[in-house]
Amino acid sequence: MAGRTPKSRRPLHTGAESILESISDGVFTVDAEWRISSFNRAAEAITGIRRREAIGKTCSDVFRASMCETDCALRQTVKTGKPIVNKSAFIVNADGRRIPISVSTAILRDEDGRLIGGAETFRDLSLVEDLRKELEGRFQVGDLVSRSASMRRLFELLPQIAASDATVLIHGETGTGKELLARAIHGASPRRNKPFVPVNCGALPDTLLESELFGYLKGAFTGATTDKPGRFALAEGGTIFLDEIGDISPALQVRLLRVLQEKTYEPLGGTQTRHADVRVIAATHRDLAVMIRENAFREDLFYRLNVVKMELPPLRKRMEDIPLLVEHFVGRFNRRQGKSVAGAAPDVMALLMAHDYPGNVRELENVIERAFVLCGAGKIERAHLPPELTGRPVTVPPSSGDTIASQTQASEAQAIRAALERNGLNRLAAARALGLHKSSLFRKIKALGIVLPEADGRSRASRSSRKSG
Amino acid sequence: MTVWNGRISPVFDVARRVLLLEVEDGKVVARREEPMEGVDPGLQASRLTQFEPHVLICGAISRPLVNLLSACAVRVIPFVAGEAEAVIGAYLGGELPSAAWAMPGCCGGRRNRQGAGGRGHCYNRKGVNR
Repeated sequence: MAGRTPKSRRPLHTGAESILESISDGVFTVDAEWRISSFNRAAEAITGIRRREAIGKTCSDVFRASMCETDCALRQTVKTGKPIVNKSAFIVNADGRRIPISVSTAILRDEDGRLIGGAETFRDLSLVEDLRKELEGRFQVGDLVSRSASMRRLFELLPQIAASDATVLIHGETGTGKELLARAIHGASPRRNKPFVPVNCGALPDTLLESELFGYLKGAFTGATTDKPGRFALAEGGTIFLDEIGDISPALQVRLLRVLQEKTYEPLGGTQTRHADVRVIAATHRDLAVMIRENAFREDLFYRLNVVKMELPPLRKRMEDIPLLVEHFVGRFNRRQGKSVAGAAPDVMALLMAHDYPGNVRELENVIERAFVLCGAGKIERAHLPPELTGRPVTVPPSSGDTIASQTQASEAQAIRAALERNGLNRLAAARALGLHKSSLFRKIKALGIVLPEADGRSRASRSSRKSG
Repeated sequence: MTVWNGRISPVFDVARRVLLLEVEDGKVVARREEPMEGVDPGLQASRLTQFEPHVLICGAISRPLVNLLSACAVRVIPFVAGEAEAVIGAYLGGELPSAAWAMPGCCGGRRNRQGAGGRGHCYNRKGVNR
């Protein structure tokens, strides 16, 4: 650019100045040295920098836009002579917040038509972005759904955490979505096309867990008839998720520490060291700091795991998410079961919001799933909710008549349903609780037309590793 | 420190080059420049941590990246502006962070040294230095 503009004479006259001060788009001009020569009120407001702090400073130090280094709009305009309109970028303000903006440029010339500087106009697009998100109505990362501030912080951090290979420790009560978060991290990471291998460390006894994690060679112990690759081997190149890491024995803690430090391990019955290119995500509901003090958990292992810590809040701390989650689960079960449940009736929503969910999101998911058993279509009503929420015994189904036979049947049905619920849908346990032989129970279930969901509560291991919502 | 055109790069999130310095006894004993991702802010932090720095001197940096780097034990001195060599001298002389080296609109240290009018004030209140 030719010539240098004295600081006192700006390339604008007062009429234009008052216009610039009144508009909501930020406008600044630069001189031939790329120093700010004017900075309007809106520019101050959007960037958070006062005019007197901006004037005379290098443009990129003030504007701090994503395009400054490689793609400066003004630089391009000066080179081509053509103005740029509505180029998208973001700036980083003094609080470290990224503000989306759209930028337009113009060239400034003096009376003789010589280039004396450039002008850049930018618009704050944050409101537009927020409105767009409101329209979408939800914040979602992977299968995690939330509107609350605490979860939003997690969502914001997630891409960067996913991109790095650092070990992550997720802390949260049971049913808060620790596995979902781990999957979301994996899915956003460069390892996303490689396996994600979850391991529930609390579900297996120590000896089995060791062989699960590291695998074994044929003949390593009785019953080892072939080589079996461990979970670390299966997760090669990808991510391993160690759930309930607080439950592992001291001996296994030592082995795990070694894997984290050296990235190597040996399968049972083998001497050859294997290399593990695996990203580790661990989770626990326990307070590991307390466990360290009680000598139940190794401090060095803790520091290896706790490189990046993510805290999942319990559902009762983010009650504003309940309507969102209900909608999410209703949609999911509708799709899975081919039903068309229309959501929750208003009094039901009130009841759902009044509960404190010791089981967190998984408990809410179960409530909705149970409601689906009783409600085929239309809205979820009070009658479809379990007694813990309604605070009353299960109501008699409306189809019962007045005769002694139908009333007895209704009571039987109610007692059977209650017993099944209390026993986690385990038919055998429910039969015992009711004082019936199990085939009698099956007969009664069939005769009374009681509909049961697929899970039969027999297999404990599968239930504890079920995804939490 | 992230650099561009001989100055501290204005925005860490998209910086293209990083200058790595090894400092011993208050002197620079080794230096080299490395390319950075510069396109996806998400990958910037992971690229940087590959070099295992103890300290990062940079320009504007968004809060999520600061948090991530701090979680990876990197001390971040953000919102620094100026000629790269001069900034190195300032760092070795223990002058960073300070308002003299801060980008416009941010005070680098705890004291606000902005202008006689007293109109400027520090937006970056929380600070990220450890």
